[in-house]
Amino acid sequence: MTHTSTETPETPFGWEAYSGDHMNTGMYEDELKRFNWTLLILEFILFGIGIFNLISATAVEDKALGLYKNQLLWFGIGMVATAIILLFHYSLFSRMAYVIYFLNLLLLVAVLVAGKSSLGAKRWIGFGSFRVQPSEFMKLSVVICLAKYFESDRTVGGYGFKDLFLPALLVLIPCGLIMLQPDLGTALIVLATFGTMMLFMKIKTKTLLIIGTCMALALPTVYTFGLKPYQRQRLVTFLDPMSDPKGSGYNSIQSMIAVGSGEILGKGYKKGTQSQLNFLPEHHTDFIFSVFSEEHGFVGCMILAALYFAFLLNGLSVAYQSHDKFGVLLALGIVTIFFWHIFINMGMVMGLLPIVGVPLPFMSYGGSALMTSVISVAILTNIANKKFMF
Amino acid sequence: MAFLGQEEQIREFQDRFKYLYAAVLIGLGLLVARLVYLQILSGDKMRQYSEENRIKRVKVDAPRGMIFDRNRKLLIDNRPAFDLEITPQYFKEYKQQKEVVQLLTKLVRMPEKDIYEALEKSRGQPSFMPVKIKTDLTRDEVAGVESWKIEMPGVEVRQEIKRTNIYGDIASHLLGYVGEVNSSELPILNKESVKYRQGDNVGKFGLEQRMENTLRGVDGEELKEVDALGRIKLEKGKDRVLGNATPDKMAIPGRNLVLTIDQDLQLAAAQAFGDKNGALVAIDPRSGEILAMMSRPSFDPTEFSRGISSQLWNRLLNNPNRPLRDKTIQDHYSPGSTFKPITAIAGLEEGVIDEKTTFNCSGSLRVGNRVYHCWNKHGHGNIDVVRAITQSCDVFFYRVAMKMNSVDQLSKWATRLGLGKKTGIDLKGEVPGLIPTEEWKEQRFKQPWLAGETLSVAIGQSYVLTTAIQMANAYASIGNGGALWKPYLVKSVESFEGKTLKEFKSEEMGQTHLHPKTVELVKEGLWGVVNTPHGTAYSSRIPGVDFAGKTGTVQNFRIAADKIYQKCENMKFEDRHNGFFVGFAPLKDPVIAVAVIGEHVCHGGAMAPVARAVIKTYLEKYFPDIYGPKAIAARLAAEKSAPVKKAPAPEPVNNATEQEDVQEDNNDQLPARNAAPPIPALPPGIENEDNASPGAGAGVGNGD
Repeated sequence: MTHTSTETPETPFGWEAYSGDHMNTGMYEDELKRFNWTLLILEFILFGIGIFNLISATAVEDKALGLYKNQLLWFGIGMVATAIILLFHYSLFSRMAYVIYFLNLLLLVAVLVAGKSSLGAKRWIGFGSFRVQPSEFMKLSVVICLAKYFESDRTVGGYGFKDLFLPALLVLIPCGLIMLQPDLGTALIVLATFGTMMLFMKIKTKTLLIIGTCMALALPTVYTFGLKPYQRQRLVTFLDPMSDPKGSGYNSIQSMIAVGSGEILGKGYKKGTQSQLNFLPEHHTDFIFSVFSEEHGFVGCMILAALYFAFLLNGLSVAYQSHDKFGVLLALGIVTIFFWHIFINMGMVMGLLPIVGVPLPFMSYGGSALMTSVISVAILTNIANKKFMF
Repeated sequence: MAFLGQEEQIREFQDRFKYLYAAVLIGLGLLVARLVYLQILSGDKMRQYSEENRIKRVKVDAPRGMIFDRNRKLLIDNRPAFDLEITPQYFKEYKQQKEVVQLLTKLVRMPEKDIYEALEKSRGQPSFMPVKIKTDLTRDEVAGVESWKIEMPGVEVRQEIKRTNIYGDIASHLLGYVGEVNSSELPILNKESVKYRQGDNVGKFGLEQRMENTLRGVDGEELKEVDALGRIKLEKGKDRVLGNATPDKMAIPGRNLVLTIDQDLQLAAAQAFGDKNGALVAIDPRSGEILAMMSRPSFDPTEFSRGISSQLWNRLLNNPNRPLRDKTIQDHYSPGSTFKPITAIAGLEEGVIDEKTTFNCSGSLRVGNRVYHCWNKHGHGNIDVVRAITQSCDVFFYRVAMKMNSVDQLSKWATRLGLGKKTGIDLKGEVPGLIPTEEWKEQRFKQPWLAGETLSVAIGQSYVLTTAIQMANAYASIGNGGALWKPYLVKSVESFEGKTLKEFKSEEMGQTHLHPKTVELVKEGLWGVVNTPHGTAYSSRIPGVDFAGKTGTVQNFRIAADKIYQKCENMKFEDRHNGFFVGFAPLKDPVIAVAVIGEHVCHGGAMAPVARAVIKTYLEKYFPDIYGPKAIAARLAAEKSAPVKKAPAPEPVNNATEQEDVQEDNNDQLPARNAAPPIPALPPGIENEDNASPGAGAGVGNGD
């Protein structure tokens, strides 16, 4: 199927990134000439800022000293993966969707059986000295799986309970396994992504109302029985951090102080006292944004926010411009994952949201998360560039 | 792969994308709004919080001034000591508190219980204030804690200044000690300009207390950067992060003291004292400078400087020999026979006697229905004032007293010599002593003065009470023939860089206006005590040196009549007599006067060697041309070839006397001065008699 430029719809916001490459000459060189590098470039810029920031965050003499080197290594592996992914057409993921999903599910079970624990949670599985966090990959696997599931779906006029049962099962099984680790943050991301995708694909109003009511009713029950005590404590402190400034509210307060004390221009590179002196907990992973904002201030944060904004919009454009349902849903799901990561992480760091362990893409230290992000960008780029191939 | 019918569905999807774009915009907009709030609107406040987080104000103790002797020998120094501290704020949060305590137990060899106890005790104070867990860590312990520090948040080794008395327990009463200021002292101290805080050291005794304002420096403040666990960052971190903090406030060390004391004399005195208890004061009769001053037994002030253990404190407190008292100024003693020269002066000055006056001593004197004993019950025969002093004849001085109209005639001269009132030395807690007058007794007891009481006063008993420093100063005044100086200890105050800030000058408290003849006679008597075979301190003479002095022995309590002649050494230690020796050298224009008190040493003669040691050391050190061993040997050789009239050549007979003259009064009646054949030693029962008349114990009226 070919498309002419007139048929190509404009993006609602007039995003121009892909508006030029509509002529498919079928020639390989032309294809390369028109190759859409935008997301990859944004990825490099974000990762560059990330590693620059991580060098500062891991300059502290503690367990994280010098960890940025691992991050570079992971990124290198990620680039190899990107190259490989770009060699294929993304429809490969459609064919492999359930295999990927089940393999990942197996890994999650393996984590619970033979995982390595850290900070009271079992999240890693080791292959020699190599440790991966299958829950990170699961986000992507779920999205691939959902895209595959809905690819052939023909439901019109919104989904009802019956239609949602199977996809919900596909989501809730890994979610349950992830909750068992426990890793509330990742489980929430998976659920939020699923919810977003389903809303996008339209749910019957009646069904939506019932689900909303059920959730509202279930909340107290989940709060009482579904959450671990420390998770419950986090929620309480989120609502009133000062109730326990030295205890569970500590992280939130110190993080807000870090962000705020950056003021307009920041304290300077490697001069963030909150992070360099360890007042910030986990400053190289979940709280990496407070390190950045402390040292680079509002100006730095605005640049970072603009980059994320550009990245997300570009991602949405890829989804928008994809001409097959799998591509649209896959790209959309991936962007949704990124969006929730960015929003939840920054919101948490700035005290807008309760503290849940969610990494900031390209900024937080963590091999599995970075790999997932890099692969996600590779898939998006693939979708962006292979939209005319069958 | 696109299926048929997908086209429409995708178009439907594309319509919905506007919601997604909006969602992204709103989401990021929320985040940016939050950034504006935190970084721009609350930025100042947050910056301040972050500064407060990391900057800890650490007090820098200003070193106290050092104390030197007159020759700038360092006596008190500030040396480093290491303490283990825990800041509960960081410690409590730490989940592995138990492990840390267990680790500390091994590192500093301290029971777990004690660590928890120390922490428990600090519960009342704010948790950011470090708690001292152990003081005076050894080097090994310091190294151990430092190497494990990363594992033990909130645990710090703190270096502190340890006030150290270099010579241990020598002169500790004079130098004093410092201690942590306690809550009752704080409000009093803080009325002055320099503020004290809990945990500061303050002088608590001796010069440390008296000169507190001089010795104390001004504490500084250092801004230290701490990490979240309260660990102070190393210098490396400092230049990296601690950029714009306000600069440190330097600590200004206290001022140094240069004393009039000569440490060599102190050491000589301490050595001569041995394990005897008592006190010693040496004064320069030309200026009132105190050359040596000590009280025994003593304590080591260094042990006080960083908090004394209650165990040690109790041991010092309960020691019957009272090591915590400065016996040079804080304790009264009956001067006993050492008071007799003052009676002689009063008699001569009041015209009651003159140099030719003799009295007959039969061993006792009956006044009315009372008998007043001489220490020598065999009597001294006819005796003049000079020999009465030399031989310490009680009866002679009873007679002098009897010839006086009133005890006031005696007190007048005692008071003029500085007795019965504080000398005003730069130390706290000096007691005035007592020289009784008729008026005093009337006021004190509402009873008239009894004539018999004057007799006891004349031999330094009854109500008469003096301190060691008063006696040294009185003899110094007799020695110099007129001036009564105010004794002083601090020669000068210097800044910590060694610049002299203030110099103290001698201060004359008054003139005694003694007739030169009086002085001459009394001095001659005192010379005889040390330099004639029947003198009570003959064995302590210093060949070639005109060393004069007087011994005294005072009963500690009223002994039953049948026991007055009991050998002192057979009594219980605490019942034994006190011995005194006061003297000066050389005879003409003395340069040093020494008073020594020996508690329970039985005889005044026992303390003469202590005075002798100090005097000898002093003369040899400061007048080597006259009193150096060579100079003395040369002079003695010259004297041998042309014997001086005054000095009786030491003869073999001395052997007999010498044994006794260690104890005052046992070289009993050698009837005449310079009389050649001394009487052989008396049987032991009599040998050790005391010169105190029976029942004339300290503070007790003359006896039965």
